[in-house]
Amino acid sequence: MNGLLALSRAIDFANERIGRLVYWCVLVMVLVSAANATSRYALNLASNAWLELQWYLFAGVFLLCSGYTLLHNEHIRIDVVSSQLSRRAQVWIDVFGIVFFLLPMSLFIMWLSWPVFMNAWTSGEISGSAGGLIRWPARLLVPLGFFLLSAQGFSELIKRIAYLRGLIPDPVEKHKDPGLDLVLDVEKAAVEQGRK
Amino acid sequence: MSAFLVANIAPIMFAGLVVFLLLGFPVSFALAALGLSFGLLGIQLGLLNEALFQALPERIFGIMSNDTLLAVPFFTFMGLILERSGMAEDLLDTIGQLFGPIRGGLAYAVVFVGALLAATTGVVAASVISMGLISLPIMLRYGYDRRLATGVIAASGTLAQIIPPSLVLIVLADQLGRSVGDMYAGAILPGLVLTGLYAAYVLGKTIVHPAAAPALPPEARPLRGWKLAGRVVFVLIPPLALIFLVLGTIFIGVATPTEGGAMGATGALVLALVNRRLTWSLLRQAMNSTAKLTTFVVFILVGATVFSLTFRGVNGDLWIEHLLTSLPGGKLGFLIVVNILTFLLAFFLDFFELAFIIVPLLAPVADKLGIDLIWFGVLLGVNMQTSFMHPPFGYALFYLRSVAPAREYVDKILRKPIQGVTTGQIYWGAVPFVVIQVIMVAIVIAFPGLVTGNLEQTKIDPSKVQIEIPQEPQEQQQEETAPPDFGAPK
Repeated sequence: MNGLLALSRAIDFANERIGRLVYWCVLVMVLVSAANATSRYALNLASNAWLELQWYLFAGVFLLCSGYTLLHNEHIRIDVVSSQLSRRAQVWIDVFGIVFFLLPMSLFIMWLSWPVFMNAWTSGEISGSAGGLIRWPARLLVPLGFFLLSAQGFSELIKRIAYLRGLIPDPVEKHKDPGLDLVLDVEKAAVEQGRK
Repeated sequence: MSAFLVANIAPIMFAGLVVFLLLGFPVSFALAALGLSFGLLGIQLGLLNEALFQALPERIFGIMSNDTLLAVPFFTFMGLILERSGMAEDLLDTIGQLFGPIRGGLAYAVVFVGALLAATTGVVAASVISMGLISLPIMLRYGYDRRLATGVIAASGTLAQIIPPSLVLIVLADQLGRSVGDMYAGAILPGLVLTGLYAAYVLGKTIVHPAAAPALPPEARPLRGWKLAGRVVFVLIPPLALIFLVLGTIFIGVATPTEGGAMGATGALVLALVNRRLTWSLLRQAMNSTAKLTTFVVFILVGATVFSLTFRGVNGDLWIEHLLTSLPGGKLGFLIVVNILTFLLAFFLDFFELAFIIVPLLAPVADKLGIDLIWFGVLLGVNMQTSFMHPPFGYALFYLRSVAPAREYVDKILRKPIQGVTTGQIYWGAVPFVVIQVIMVAIVIAFPGLVTGNLEQTKIDPSKVQIEIPQEPQEQQQEETAPPDFGAPK
């Protein structure tokens, strides 16, 4: 179990780093898209490569942050029923869900999308639009994203089992961002700052 | 056993959906796993082609390159940054003083500022939290009825859901296969009418119970006369500029909604920078929250796509269609049932789940019945807005609870102890506004012209938008619109 917990910590560390790196794509995406709109209107210049870069970044954000979001337990749940259950029961549901839903699903999609990437890589597939980008980086994002998600799922499974065996404290608490909701803490801090 | 399965696989799959979602495991993974397992079962039973899942990578690729969904992170990021820009505080402070002298003035200010903030960002949390932090203490100080105070704040905050540029409308447009611009144009009038209804409720309340919403005493309004007028004009500049930057460019046709979102986000960054409120820590938090929100939203869509691939494969869509078209009452019967269903589902699903799971099943049926999909989308949008405010799971109520004083505190100005706000007061405060919301759904059903009239007029001449609200049958609109792609991922 100790070896597994060490592996879990390594996965958590990796996804945390990746998440923190990848979220900068949000800012880049905003600036690229605003620049595209401005240049098209003001200078009558449009570039398919820059337009495609927008959604490459978008895809990068949601695929590469999938493990990071799972680490912070922020994939939406419907907790009407489960919030009535004991913490241990909720953790058992997670164990069940990871084993029967998350891992099979993400490994399967990874397995399905890998040949698509290989195909794009070997054939040198390029976007259909003039001056568009080469496709393999976008195709690679899918198996890569689902790999990160599977890895994080595995790490969460280890932590849940360790918790059920009394080896570690509740793993969800540790990675929870402060505040009620993901947007909440930012705004609360912002408004309080603004009032000072 | 397998014969029974073959005959009833779609209903069984649907029942499985309900059970698995209620388990409380993340929605996106449960959906995807359900789609995959039933797909494999269907292949085993010979119901589905073995190549079924070969289409999956291409579907996911379609989601990645979807230009409409790109607007989701833009508007989220914009809303988060805008909070720090200090715009909401300035607005509430000034508009509060403007309306202060009249009875219920602060409540009107909250409704008005709520609508204004809604037109600049698409995020509910932002408005509710700033109004809860700024207006609620003042309302409590001067003896507002607690239910009225909390209800009006929560409800006005949810206006962000229906007044463009809202995230709900973007997602609905994507799922209904309509343009976001049309969806925005259609939602403007209903959004304004709803704002008017909120204000009318405050007016009614002040007439029946004058003590529920007293006017502010003069010492609470340091600004008077020309000074106040100048201040009002000054604080209105940033929101109006942003509204022009985002909605203006979309409606004139200069920018796509996605680009409008990016322009707005850039504008918000500039505004925060000018007001010296942009810090690295804020920027990182905003990017972090935006990345996580985008991820979970798009993942629900990925899950729903996997689910619908199989569900359509086993003709589940035909099963739903059959169920819904056999309802008595034709079009109206369908609309009433769908709205009751949405209202009930909204108690425990949030709007992303409703939009990605339920809407794709309803849209083809609505279209077949000759219902204009923009109108249908706006109707669902108004309805889903309730999911933010009905107790006990409404997000707006959570946000408000988190910023409202829970315990007794001593007011700084009056130096008197003030009771905390109980959760019960917040819940009961929301009830009248949920009722207003239901009335609004009925109004939109009764007067489709509210949505479609505006739509046609903007196409012809944008300057005539608000002149008349013709109550024309929506069939007319129908003829002009192209057949939908049923919200299938492109």
